[in-house]
Amino acid sequence: MALSLLESEAPDLSRDGLNTQGVYIYRPANAKPNKPQNERPPKRRKVESDGQEKQEEKSQGAQARPFVPLLNGEESASSVDLRYNAYQRLWSKQEAKIQEVLEDVDSKILEEVSSFVKESSAQIYDGCIPSALVTVGSNVSSLGRLVTRLNERLITSGEGGVVVLESGDAPNIKTTLKNIIRAAVTNTEGNDGYQSFLTDREGPRLLAYDLDLLGDYVQRKGVTKLVLAFRDSEAFDPNLLTDLLSLLSSWLDRIPFTLLFGISTSVELFEGRLPRSSVALLRGQYFELHEASNCVDRIYERLQADPDGEFWLGRSITGVLFERTSDYFYTPEAFCRTVKYAYMSHFFANPLAVLFSKDSASAGLPHGKLCQAVRNLPSFRALCEDLVEDGHSKQVRNLLENDEYLFQECLKYLETGQKQMRNIFEAVKSTHTFLKHLNLSKKIGVSDISILALSGELHNSQIVNDILNTMKTLDSEGLKGLLATVPENLADSPQVREIQRDFEALLEAYPNSKPLQSGYDNRNSVAKVTVVQQRVQVTKSKAKQPKQNVEYTQILDRFHATLGAYFAETLVGPQDLYLYEVFLLDMRYPLKDTVAPRPRFAIERALSSPFDYLISTSDTPENRLSAKQPVTAILYQLYLESGAIVNAHDLWSAFYAVFESDQGDECDERVIMALFYRALSELKALGVVKNSRKKVDHIAKTSWAGL
Amino acid sequence: MKRKQPDSGSEDEYRPVSTPKRQRTTANGIMNNNLNGNGSPEASPTKRTPRKSNAATPAALKESGLKTPTQRAKAKALFTTTKSTTVSTPTRARNADRSAKKKSARLLLEQDDEEVWDGAYRLAEEILEDENDAPATTADGNKEVKESVEASTEPTEKSAQTPKRRAGRPKGARNKRSPTPEGELPPHERYFFQNRAGPTHTSNNTLNKVSLLTHEEYFDTLARYTDPCKREKEFLLDLHHRSFPQWDFEFDQGFNICLYGFGSKRRLLQSFADWLHQKHSPASPSIVIVNGHTPNISIRSIFATIATAVLGADLPSKLGSQPVEVLELLQSVLKSRPSQEPITVLINSIDAPPLRRAVNQALLSRLAATPMIRLLATTDTPNFLLMWDINFRDQYNFVFHDCTTFAAFDAEFDIVEEVHGLLGRKGRRIGGKEGVGFVLKSLPENAQNLYRLLLTELITMLDDGHNSDDEDGGQGQGENNAHNETGIEFRMLYQKATEEFVASSEMMFRTLLKEFHDHQMITSRIDASGMEILGVPLSREEMEGVLEDLVLS
Repeated sequence: MALSLLESEAPDLSRDGLNTQGVYIYRPANAKPNKPQNERPPKRRKVESDGQEKQEEKSQGAQARPFVPLLNGEESASSVDLRYNAYQRLWSKQEAKIQEVLEDVDSKILEEVSSFVKESSAQIYDGCIPSALVTVGSNVSSLGRLVTRLNERLITSGEGGVVVLESGDAPNIKTTLKNIIRAAVTNTEGNDGYQSFLTDREGPRLLAYDLDLLGDYVQRKGVTKLVLAFRDSEAFDPNLLTDLLSLLSSWLDRIPFTLLFGISTSVELFEGRLPRSSVALLRGQYFELHEASNCVDRIYERLQADPDGEFWLGRSITGVLFERTSDYFYTPEAFCRTVKYAYMSHFFANPLAVLFSKDSASAGLPHGKLCQAVRNLPSFRALCEDLVEDGHSKQVRNLLENDEYLFQECLKYLETGQKQMRNIFEAVKSTHTFLKHLNLSKKIGVSDISILALSGELHNSQIVNDILNTMKTLDSEGLKGLLATVPENLADSPQVREIQRDFEALLEAYPNSKPLQSGYDNRNSVAKVTVVQQRVQVTKSKAKQPKQNVEYTQILDRFHATLGAYFAETLVGPQDLYLYEVFLLDMRYPLKDTVAPRPRFAIERALSSPFDYLISTSDTPENRLSAKQPVTAILYQLYLESGAIVNAHDLWSAFYAVFESDQGDECDERVIMALFYRALSELKALGVVKNSRKKVDHIAKTSWAGL
Repeated sequence: MKRKQPDSGSEDEYRPVSTPKRQRTTANGIMNNNLNGNGSPEASPTKRTPRKSNAATPAALKESGLKTPTQRAKAKALFTTTKSTTVSTPTRARNADRSAKKKSARLLLEQDDEEVWDGAYRLAEEILEDENDAPATTADGNKEVKESVEASTEPTEKSAQTPKRRAGRPKGARNKRSPTPEGELPPHERYFFQNRAGPTHTSNNTLNKVSLLTHEEYFDTLARYTDPCKREKEFLLDLHHRSFPQWDFEFDQGFNICLYGFGSKRRLLQSFADWLHQKHSPASPSIVIVNGHTPNISIRSIFATIATAVLGADLPSKLGSQPVEVLELLQSVLKSRPSQEPITVLINSIDAPPLRRAVNQALLSRLAATPMIRLLATTDTPNFLLMWDINFRDQYNFVFHDCTTFAAFDAEFDIVEEVHGLLGRKGRRIGGKEGVGFVLKSLPENAQNLYRLLLTELITMLDDGHNSDDEDGGQGQGENNAHNETGIEFRMLYQKATEEFVASSEMMFRTLLKEFHDHQMITSRIDASGMEILGVPLSREEMEGVLEDLVLS
């Protein structure tokens, strides 16, 4: 009887009743009625088992793609699939590259640290705890990677394992010890293993924070290295750390601890926070990790400048990426995820991305909509205009009218565009090597050059000019080196080959002389100082050149001209390429807001000009304060005009006046009061007002718009 | 307040000379709103009802607001002429002059207080130089009163001599010293301007005359209100709905999602859950919804619920008391089941006070970093990013979306309670009379009797007008709060309870009281002599109502 009563009540509760619960498992509102609603635990089980059965069915069927059809929903399913596959193919390739770079970056320090762990022991260090101090600087995440890989090594070699301790795990000594023990045991035994380890033992049951447990575990498993990694060692309470260290050192004869401290500041500061007695317990070595920016630069180079690249990020996205890295200490992982997000957004939202798919040509897609989209591209228009100017109006007509033709042309243009992009990045890379080779500047990284290249400015930039000018003054040894670094497709060109041949012939002709000097080299010019009419005149004149140098200078001149031409030809602006919209993503905005939001700005904007968000249907889109706005927005705007403390009564009357001037006598004071309550409570929840004790019924302002 | 008038008066006249910034200020209509916000109640201090005073001013001001700059320029010219030409009513003018001089002298003496207003300072000097026999009176109590009276009349007289200006300027505008005199101050300047030293300049109005809302009234009246932006809000919500597939894709690619922007996002989350459920229909993913605003919510319970969602019947009977233990259990289970469908966790208001602490955020971020856990969190505050350092951000792996909804936070927090807390008028229990009655019904008879006893005692005390001795300083709070101070001493109530056979031992008595305390039905405080005083957070009428119900039932 009572049961049926409850059941009839249940549907009403399903919305509101669950909403007051702190945490609950979602069940759809239209759940099947035959399932009893009120028996919660059994119900959950049922849903769970149901889900699993059906999941098996589903895994046999076709997996639904996460992409949605674009082009107003008229994109065909196969095209959506192609797009998704293209994304997966492209990104998995890039991801592998990123992993390679990351592993490569860490490998050296990993070797160092693991050899330290292997060799150090308490015996060597006179009973002190062996400890590795690792300064990570801004590269916070690298320690995590390091520790994970160290752990893998130790486990596979059966020597022990790594326990990572974060400051959050260590509120007090008991919990810390408990966490250490549990983590150490579960690391190898798993969670069940830990439970059975706790319970299945002889003798009196030990408490979970008793280091005897760990000693026992070490003995049973024959652990020789137990590394305890303090990830954010500065955040630990120094007193707790002191206690912990003395405790650990007293157990050192039974448990082979090795400590690993991640330090973000400096070793001196870290040491300064601990009492000398604790510091005396430690002895070890100091390691330094690379800065994040270095790593990020390498990743970027791999992603963009690899010779098999298909898709590129444009100038503004690159700007966003590196701005974040330098400003906010982006970790390399976060950097990669941002890149990933950029890739995702391109393939998710750009219907043209289907052209990346290798089988888009053979798939026999209906091209109609796609071609229409292509025809609307700015770069397609530029293409048509160029063609018309060159007198190929027939071809343009074909492009505009024949879908099939256009589609084939698109694939062609895509290929040439991609090729040109690859050339650009090859030029970028060689610019970078030239810079290094010519000792011009060590600070300029690939990313800086890429930004210039992606905006089409590299060709006229200082960097390229410097390279060309310095190159002219090279001696023959220098030129030899430079020629060796020339990019492949330039080295293959007939001019360069000829230069190379002549240069080698010249060197053979004069095998014994010193390196050949360039005619432009300042060392060959002689400065004459003469005094003419009490004025000092400096005149430079070329010293008489030996014949071989003159010949060498000619070669240099030729090479200079070739290189200049190469830069001019290769370094076009990517935005000038036809169909660049397909293979280049350069929209700053969705990406920037997604990874670096400005929530405060958004809220301030929503409140101070609500109709930016609420597309107004009324014909008065004025910004004047009126009762038509959301109530909190009204109150917020009144609040903005107030001083540091606000009289609540006056605020209320002003709020009321807004309604009264709008609605005249029709407005109901109590309703407006209720709205005032709502608005005020929301302002409080936003944290812009707080209670003020200065005066009765006053509230204090805590936020100034725009700051 | 008192020294304000000469400031603003002089400020007006001197602006064009001393602060050229002024020229571009008033055109943007902010003036009007200033007046709505602050000026008008000051301008008409005699008026009792806010309704009237405000009805008149904004309308008048809206017309004049735009014209002010030109009038300012003129005003300067007019001011010089009044000085140089002979005045029509010499006595009145002399009176005005004298008053101005007094105030100027005072201003000069106290100049360091208000250095910002050097325009006023300069004017003061000028007035004093005019006639050198300045009566340098410092302010004593009497004079202040007098001056303040004069101050309000003085500018009127001045403007009476210049009728043109009078016509153009509404009455309130002159007297106000707006806290934002420069409409276009850059934000940092505005901050320093508004936080400068010196007395605060707000009116002394209090809300005593306004009857505040109770819970019942709040909900009753709100039901009568129709939102003018309803359609727009629906449209906005619809726009957000369109990004559901995108969010799903982001989940799929291993990102977690954070929604920010103004407005409650509960409904949005609910419909996202519906959508997810429908989209993956045959094998719907497990979705766990968390309401961050729920008081007393614990991270452990969140983790435990997720573990339940994963394990179902296989959930071990003992989960461990530490949240970390539950989390690790969860992680190891997820690791050991590669075929497990991902679990979606939707957290409403991850920046709500119960979840805000760094410890909780650290745990949640570890949850978010678990593979197979998809986390979507919403935030309400503008500065939520400050909760997370680079480590947390890395673990959360959020992508952010602006989801401004403008929806009201009805479910998130108790609006009436919040406002009363903000205004320092706490003490009205959630639920009021009905709430207490509801709780009482579920309690045993003994408890009901004890509460009846307590109420009877309190009402008798109120009737005696015997507002207990320890009531201190609550006078300014008005009659609303007076009864809160009324309370009965713990021992006394115990004695009465034993007399009535409600409680036989102190232990039992305390148990009963604890029940009340848990439901916030009683208040308790220690008075000056160290005695525990028990009270009830209800108004007298409510107390009587509850008592009536108790006796009748």
